[in-house]
Amino acid sequence: MASATTPKSILKKPSYPATGSSKADRDREVALYHANLIQQRKDIELKILLSTETLIDYPLAAAPYDASNPSPADARSFKDLLRPFQPSDYDALIVERNINEHCGYALCPKPRVKDGGGGKYRIVGKYGKAKDFRVVDKEELEKWCSEACAKRALYVRVQLSETPAWEREGFNSVNIDLLDEPKSEEGKSKERQSEEDQVVEALGELNLRGTEDQVKKQDAADLALERGDRGYATKNGLVDVKIHDKEVTEPVQAPSLDTDDLSSRLGTMHLTLEGHTPSFGSRKQRRHHEELGDIEGENSDEDTDWKL
Amino acid sequence: MSSDEDRAIKMREAGERESARLWRAWRTVHEMVQDRGYELTEEEVKISLEDFKAKFTGADGTIERKLMTFSARPSDAMMKKYANPPTASNPNPPSADIGTIWVEFLPDTSVGIKQMRNFAQHLSANNFHTGILITNVNITPAALKIIPAVQSETRIECFLEQDLLVNITHHELVPKHVLLSKEEKAKLLERYRLKDTQLPRIQLGDPVARYLGLRRGQVVKIIRRSETAGRYASYRLCV
Repeated sequence: MASATTPKSILKKPSYPATGSSKADRDREVALYHANLIQQRKDIELKILLSTETLIDYPLAAAPYDASNPSPADARSFKDLLRPFQPSDYDALIVERNINEHCGYALCPKPRVKDGGGGKYRIVGKYGKAKDFRVVDKEELEKWCSEACAKRALYVRVQLSETPAWEREGFNSVNIDLLDEPKSEEGKSKERQSEEDQVVEALGELNLRGTEDQVKKQDAADLALERGDRGYATKNGLVDVKIHDKEVTEPVQAPSLDTDDLSSRLGTMHLTLEGHTPSFGSRKQRRHHEELGDIEGENSDEDTDWKL
Repeated sequence: MSSDEDRAIKMREAGERESARLWRAWRTVHEMVQDRGYELTEEEVKISLEDFKAKFTGADGTIERKLMTFSARPSDAMMKKYANPPTASNPNPPSADIGTIWVEFLPDTSVGIKQMRNFAQHLSANNFHTGILITNVNITPAALKIIPAVQSETRIECFLEQDLLVNITHHELVPKHVLLSKEEKAKLLERYRLKDTQLPRIQLGDPVARYLGLRRGQVVKIIRRSETAGRYASYRLCV
């Protein structure tokens, strides 16, 4: 007859400790975490696409402004829109602008040049120095309206980060400089500047000058991001990491030589290696010297255990 | 023979080649739309080169791609194939996710975001469910990203003219692919006691999958000739 007791399982017990949540719950959590990451990435990619679409028709401001002096509003939104871009995205933008016959530099209102002649390559720098001589793809030259614009566009390109925006840390503090910033100091352009621009500019100046506290806070936040506290991608990480920093309240000072006992060490200073002064001769000899009262300089690192 | 005449002859030959190319792409895309189950007449599909030229030659003697557009409505058989069968939990399923198709040849020498947006806008403005865009050149990667962005409104498929010169499904090494309806798929899975992920797979970007406009999760039955069994059917899940 079979006994009533159930046979003991020979299978291993699950290695994970019996936590409150079931396996299904944990699986769900992991799946959600990764799904969120992917969603974030998709959102940013869509944003880049829409920004590209917007930038195809730039600049919005007309006549008095050109590539060497873009309108402040355009320049500002251009910088804002470019923030999540990678260099490859920027290249795509240039291609898109060229398809629409614009100069590749997004703040240039001129059409791109079209070299009517045949052939695939062009010779550049025929009359300059030998090192300037190059054979260039024709398409490469047709991207821009002028060489200056090519420079401006590439100046922006090298400032873009190779890291994709969803992996970037300190996302909001990326700042892009233009080769030709808007020249708002000029009297005539100041008049034309819209009120909004003036206000924004004034605000920017205020921010720069005033409240160092804010700057400090921003720095601290950026530092925290950099350390991975709340990175863009790791907002709801699997592991709950909390970093407790010791707050440093008093101002930080650079280390300095204390001047008081400097004079006593002057004699052996030239022998000092990273704060340590080696002493030569065997211990016995040194002791002998000491007994004679012939103390040269300081023997701080001498063993003084034997003294009572 | 003077060089002028020579050039004229060459030009004419190039024009002939171009129109023959376009005619073949035109026929292939019609066959494709018909094979998917849309309603097209035989005359439309089997148009001759002369008729094609007469219909689409523009003022300058070349084929006008702008004129090369057509739309088609799904047939009843296709509606049935795409229908969602009622289930116990959902007795009133949504209607079939299929509708009128719009096919357009694009004359532009480069296709970017702008052109793609225009096409998408045209589709949603005219309530076309699906759009097929046939281009002469590669579409920029940025423009291709538009497709998933507008997917909730309309489906866009892109083909290159050169890919449509021959109908790949007519090749003897390409077996017959038949799309299964949702009901047939459920029956198949029940009969073999499978989950759908246990089926062999076919990629969404597979040439035949693109030809049939497969969607993720659909199953195709592939019927191939077999020396030993006469015919052999296998099933593939589109991923």
